[in-house]
Amino acid sequence: MAAATQELMPEQATYIPPAHRADWLMRIGVSIVTLVIFLAIFGPYIGPYDPTRTTIRIAVPPPGFTEMPRLFWAWIDGTLDHPPHWMGTDANGYDIFSRVIAAPRTDLKIALLANILSLIAGIFFGLVAGYWRNWSTELLIRVSDVLQSFPVFIMAMVLVALAGRSATNIIIALAFVYTPIYLRLTRAEVLSQTSRGFVEAARAMGNSELSIAMRHVLPNSLTPALIQSSVTIGFAILLTAGLSFVGAGVRPPTPEWGLMISTGANQIVLGEWWPSVFPGLAISLTVFGFAVLGNALERRYERG
Amino acid sequence: MLLRYITRRTLIGFVQLFCLVIAVFFLIRLLPADPVSRLVGLNSSPEAYEQAARQLGLHRSLFDQLGIYLGLNPEIAQGLLQGSLGTSWATGSSVGSEITTFLPVTLQLITLAFILAFVISIPVGMLGALNPGKAADKGIFVYSLFAGSQPEFWWGLLFVYVFYFQLGWAPAPLGQLSPMTFPPEPVTGFMLIDTLIAGEPAKFFEALHHLMMPVITLAFILSGPIIKMVRQNMVRALQSDFVLYANLIGLPGKRVARYALRAAMGPSMTLIGILYGFMLSGAVLVESVFSLGGIGQYAIRSVLAFDYPAIQGVVLVITAISLIVYLALDLIHAAIDPRIAY
Repeated sequence: MAAATQELMPEQATYIPPAHRADWLMRIGVSIVTLVIFLAIFGPYIGPYDPTRTTIRIAVPPPGFTEMPRLFWAWIDGTLDHPPHWMGTDANGYDIFSRVIAAPRTDLKIALLANILSLIAGIFFGLVAGYWRNWSTELLIRVSDVLQSFPVFIMAMVLVALAGRSATNIIIALAFVYTPIYLRLTRAEVLSQTSRGFVEAARAMGNSELSIAMRHVLPNSLTPALIQSSVTIGFAILLTAGLSFVGAGVRPPTPEWGLMISTGANQIVLGEWWPSVFPGLAISLTVFGFAVLGNALERRYERG
Repeated sequence: MLLRYITRRTLIGFVQLFCLVIAVFFLIRLLPADPVSRLVGLNSSPEAYEQAARQLGLHRSLFDQLGIYLGLNPEIAQGLLQGSLGTSWATGSSVGSEITTFLPVTLQLITLAFILAFVISIPVGMLGALNPGKAADKGIFVYSLFAGSQPEFWWGLLFVYVFYFQLGWAPAPLGQLSPMTFPPEPVTGFMLIDTLIAGEPAKFFEALHHLMMPVITLAFILSGPIIKMVRQNMVRALQSDFVLYANLIGLPGKRVARYALRAAMGPSMTLIGILYGFMLSGAVLVESVFSLGGIGQYAIRSVLAFDYPAIQGVVLVITAISLIVYLALDLIHAAIDPRIAY
């Protein structure tokens, strides 16, 4: 029906909001992402406790909502002997609040760097494979197909566990897993761009193939990969947390959300919910934020 | 025509699996891990170390090892050509038989989760597509974005806290049956089927009860992308010419929606296939939260023990199943949508 109405009443039939106006959903996404970036920079310094040092208070539940204002004023007045544990402490005595806000430093760093690495590699190979089409680039695509058919989580786990559980190795493993996605996206876009008039025009003006590829095709082919990267950063955070959860991620006592959930997982059947619930809430919101942002960017790009 | 298509796809699949086997084989061995010292301990004598390496066949060159794994030297050990996935370094039993005990658990879990997710997603996605831009549609859209981007292991734990600890509706997350129950004779490996074959309905319902929480957790995560996809394909189908025609000749709206749904299900099959393949390894976290003992947990165990034959076997089997599922769903796609022919 919609297609028919558009044909009968072109242009003014439906109101399309201007592209620069952000909807409320995008605002939520941007706010969450901004907060996470802020915490990645300042998080480790603003918590009341050192995120990597235990306290003597073990498995303290968080204060109730009604108690919070009183505690807050007592804390300001200096009548407390120690800063309150807003989210309680875990079985080792770590202050959960300090660790939850320090964790973006670990999680976002891994997700961001893995993404930048795979973006660079994927865009480079995608450009090469899309612009110069011969047997060697065909082979490149086949190799990338094989890599993409790997079970993602198990591959990441294998790479990290065998290479050593460090943040660097997680970054490399994730970059390895995500490169084929960017390769495909960029290649598809390059293929559609090279058939356009401006490429022929550039060629007619005597530009070299390399300069056409780098200066004309590449800048026009970046968008799909860049949009995808917002979603991928979110999924990289999920994967990082998942790796820690099964014991193939960063080592304790690094503040990392997945590791914190894993520490609390054994206590949850006994009713100690707080060591797992708060870091999980942080992951849940963060990944949702990146997904919303990615989706908003995608819709904006489609609208033009 | 159809037969030729299936043969071609199968051949391509075999080539792909062969490349995968080679890639995984070398990838694992290029990484700086020492499986021998993981097995004999770091403080073992050089002789013991040497002997262990010899037992695992690691004293041979890489290409000899690959040859043995592929089954080119059946006099030394059985390999892939003989239909053997090798022997696990950690347990000493055959990888193939270990995988056949763990795989059905995962298949049962994700198949039930997919069915549940589908049953929820189709009406919800259709509701969104039939009311584009309305409040319900927006709500459904936000829900699908949210559900699709959640840490499933955390939701699993949350459900354990609420439904086991607080409400007591769900059993403790300690496996497929409660630890006190004697499991039935494994015939198919699928707990729900085995309990029925053994003629023990009480155990059947117990297994179902234990599967409830993990299936709901996975179905919740899966419902995100599936709703989004059903909605998108449905919107596209509603805009197509045949729906316009059906509306013009005055067919009732419900019937038109049914035709459109049928056309929308086709393209959805491809994504379902990809999701299913992804879930074979993606269910690992939920399996480990509920200690179900599926293929994912077997993968974790093998990876942490540096058990190379087991890792190779798991990756190979999971990829092979995904390829089979892709093929099967492409065929179903053709069967559902009469407009497609191969």
